[in-house]
Order: sequence, then structure tokens, then C-alpha cells
Amino acid sequence: MSEAAGIWSQILDSFPAALTAGLLISAACSFLGVFVVLKRLVFIGATLSEVAACGVAVSFFFGFHPVAGALILTLASVTLLAGSTSEEKIPKDSVLAAVFIAAASLSVLLAAKSAFGLEEVKSLLYGDLILTSGHDLGMLALTVLPAAAVAGVFLRPILFTFLDRDEARILKIRVVIWELVFYYALAVVVSASSKLGGMLLVFCMLVVPPMTALLLSKRLVPALFLSVMFAWISVASGFYFSFVFDFPVNPVIGFASCCLLGAAAAAKRLLRL
Amino acid sequence: MDFEDPEVLIRCRNLTLGYGHEAVLKDVTLDIPKGIFLPFIGPNGAGKTTLLRGFLGLVKPLSGTLESPFMKKAPGYVPQLKSIDPLFPVTAREIVLMGLYPRLGWWKKPGDKETEEVEAALQELRLTAHAHKNYRDLSGGNKQKTLIARAWVSGADVFILDEPSSELDEATEREVFHHLNSFVKEKGKTVLMAHHGLTHPFLYQIDEVCLVTRGQARIVKSRDLARGDLHA
Repeated sequence: MSEAAGIWSQILDSFPAALTAGLLISAACSFLGVFVVLKRLVFIGATLSEVAACGVAVSFFFGFHPVAGALILTLASVTLLAGSTSEEKIPKDSVLAAVFIAAASLSVLLAAKSAFGLEEVKSLLYGDLILTSGHDLGMLALTVLPAAAVAGVFLRPILFTFLDRDEARILKIRVVIWELVFYYALAVVVSASSKLGGMLLVFCMLVVPPMTALLLSKRLVPALFLSVMFAWISVASGFYFSFVFDFPVNPVIGFASCCLLGAAAAAKRLLRL
Repeated sequence: MDFEDPEVLIRCRNLTLGYGHEAVLKDVTLDIPKGIFLPFIGPNGAGKTTLLRGFLGLVKPLSGTLESPFMKKAPGYVPQLKSIDPLFPVTAREIVLMGLYPRLGWWKKPGDKETEEVEAALQELRLTAHAHKNYRDLSGGNKQKTLIARAWVSGADVFILDEPSSELDEATEREVFHHLNSFVKEKGKTVLMAHHGLTHPFLYQIDEVCLVTRGQARIVKSRDLARGDLHA
């Protein structure tokens, strides 16, 4: 057996739940992330990840389930953001910035008053897939898969709403409803992923694999598949190299994802794709 | 408000349109007949786009009444080219297919009939060779024709266009006007189009235009407008 095969065998034996959780989180985030990038709403990815992390901090502090805390705060934030229209005097990205700062500050304040302090803040920011339990994996699958599936099933009205809102309204597509469907699906995926993935990994998966896919694909459906594929390659590379070099897995996945983006950009330039 | 009249397509009575509490057009009273090619002409900011968006139901009246048949049957809308974000990886064909949404809904795959209709619309606008190109890679003229094909495939009787030639050269502008004119003359459709002025020779051949200026809109003879006989 080669050295690499031996390492993979050990990873699969020791961390099956962690690897499966990584694949689930990365698939759901990178799928929805294609629309986040196309809608030029990358900051929403960072903000929702931070809000979800804050929800986890709130739940640690008050002693209830972390996913519930993350879900309540992200759904509330999405509803607030959906309500702020382009006609208002304050731009949407400024509202996002205010929500981001509030969530980040509150997370640090709550962690400072908790028994774990700085370690808890680090855990919120970076997460740790390795700690995934069977129960965590079950919860993740029950929340993330249906949410991503809803966005996949209703791809056409969501795409048309985002592509040309006025035409969609004229064609009697209920644009407000479809926008909310997408943002609620995003909120569920981000909040369910945050406890294990941490803010960094969730934000990375919402942005970097979709960017890589959109760089290489001129069609939407292939871009969606490519995005998930690049996310999975990043997760597999992250697990492999963190095992070999004894690094924490989540930041290695993030770094691997960015390396893939760099390689795709270089290949595109060299091959003039 | 929905209505049907054998002669009149859109009826406005003391219609005030605007954004927030600010009126752009005040007390407009207008009957737009069916089966005509009617350019809406006026200076920038006069309210041409606002009036057309009012017809489409995208801007709600602040006061007055606006009657049209568009609740029953949606018009074909051709927005400005910039309304489609070039970041989206969609082909010309996929944009045209969007016009069939009222029939396909969110789940139905386009069948042979729908595919034929899309191909016919692409052919009608001479876009067949560009059908599989990404929208962002098309020339301005072909982007405009793609949006016209989308409106065409929807089966609409009325086409509403917002400055369709604003980013086109003169030859492409002529080609677009030729297509729109053939919709009216050969297929009995109605074309309502915002345009910045009587800048193209084709527009002098049209009998009437809707002059939008100083918060008002009225239908006038194009030859009077060209001679400068009108007092706004």
C-alpha cells in the first residue's frame, strides 16, 4: 500500500464523521455560494457566518443548543436584510457591516465572560471538524441537506429573480418570496455549519470554490457542479495535509481552497480559457 | 386595473407617477391605441422610463387611474442592456427561454414545442449562430436582439422597450427598428418604446409619437415635432 493510501485509510478509520461533515458543509455552502458571488453579496457570507458564530456564543452563554442559537440569529438577520430595499438611504452593504460589527463584538464580549474565554473565541472563528460527533453529523445532515435541496429544486425562479428582477416581476414570478427562500436556505446552511466549520471555513466555502468554478465555467449548471467539486477537493486536501503535518484541519482546508483558486486563475491565464 | 377595449390598449386618467412621495409625471391623461409603433420621446429625466414602468406595473400610481390588459396577459418587456448583470454565466438561448416561464413554471422541462419556439425566436432575430454564446460575450446589438427574442417568445401582443438603441451604432439601431416595425406591420403587435429623440431617420416615418416633457405626456404628430410646431 502506498504512503498516501495508508494515510487515507487512517483518516477514514479515525475521522469518518469529521470527513463526512466537511463534505456536507462544503457542498451546501459552495452550491449556494455561486449565487452569493453572482449577486455580488460576498459580504453577506462573512456577515451571516459571523452572526451564526455569535449565535453559537449566545447559546454557550445561556446554555441551549448551539444550532438553535445560530439559526435564530441568522434568520433574524436575513429577514432584516431582506426588508432593507435599494430605495432606502442606507446601502445594503452598510447594513451588513453594522450587523457584522454587532455580531463580532457580542461574540467576543460573551466569550470574555464565559469560563473558556479566548479558547471559545478561537473555536467560534476557526471551528474544528475533528470534534464532529455522530449526533453533530446527524443534525448537520438534517438541516443542511434539505436547505440546499430547496435552493436546487427552485433553481429556475431563484435564478430568474436574481438575473432580471423587473422581467421576473412582469412574468409574475414572486420575486420577494424567491429571494426569501434563497436567503433562508442560506441562513439555515450557514447556521448549521458554523459550530463545526467555524466562521472562517463557512465563509471560505461560500466564496472561494464558487469563484474558482465561475472562473472556469461559462455556464451556470456546470459552475454549480464545479463549485462543489472544488470544495470537496479542498476538504480532502485539507484532511490529508493536516494529518501529515499535524495542523488544525479547518484552516488547512481554507488555505487549500485558496491555492486551488490561484491555480485555476494561473491555468486560465496560461491556457487563455 | 385590468380592462379590455377594442381600440384602446392603455388608458390613463389624471395619472401621477413617481418614487416615494416625489411625482415625476403629474395628472397625465392619455389613451394609447392598439397596433401601433409609438416612441416615447423627451429629454433625459422627463419621465419616459417612469411612464413605461408604470404601464408594466413596476411603478405604482401615486394618484389617478391606469387601465391596461397586462394583468391578464403580460407584455413583452425589453429593458436596457445593463439590466442583465454580465457576471451571470447564461447563454443567449437561456435568456430567451426565460420568456417561457409563465408556461413552464419552476419545474417543467422545455419540450419539443417550447424548444421549437425558442429556435424560431432566435431565427426571427437572426441569432441562431449566437444562441450558445454567453450573454456577456455578445455585441450590444445581439444583446438587444436577445432581449427582444425573449419578449417575442413569450407570445406577448405588446412590446415595451426602454431605450433599446441607447448603446447601439446606427446600422444596428436600424436593424432593431426594422424588427420592431415588422412586429407591428406584419404581426399586428403593439410596440411602445422610450427613445431620447427623433434622432433616427426611421422615426420620421412614424405618424405619431408620445411627447414626454415637463411632467406631462401627450401623443403628437411626429411631423409637427420635427418642424418644432409644438408648444409644450
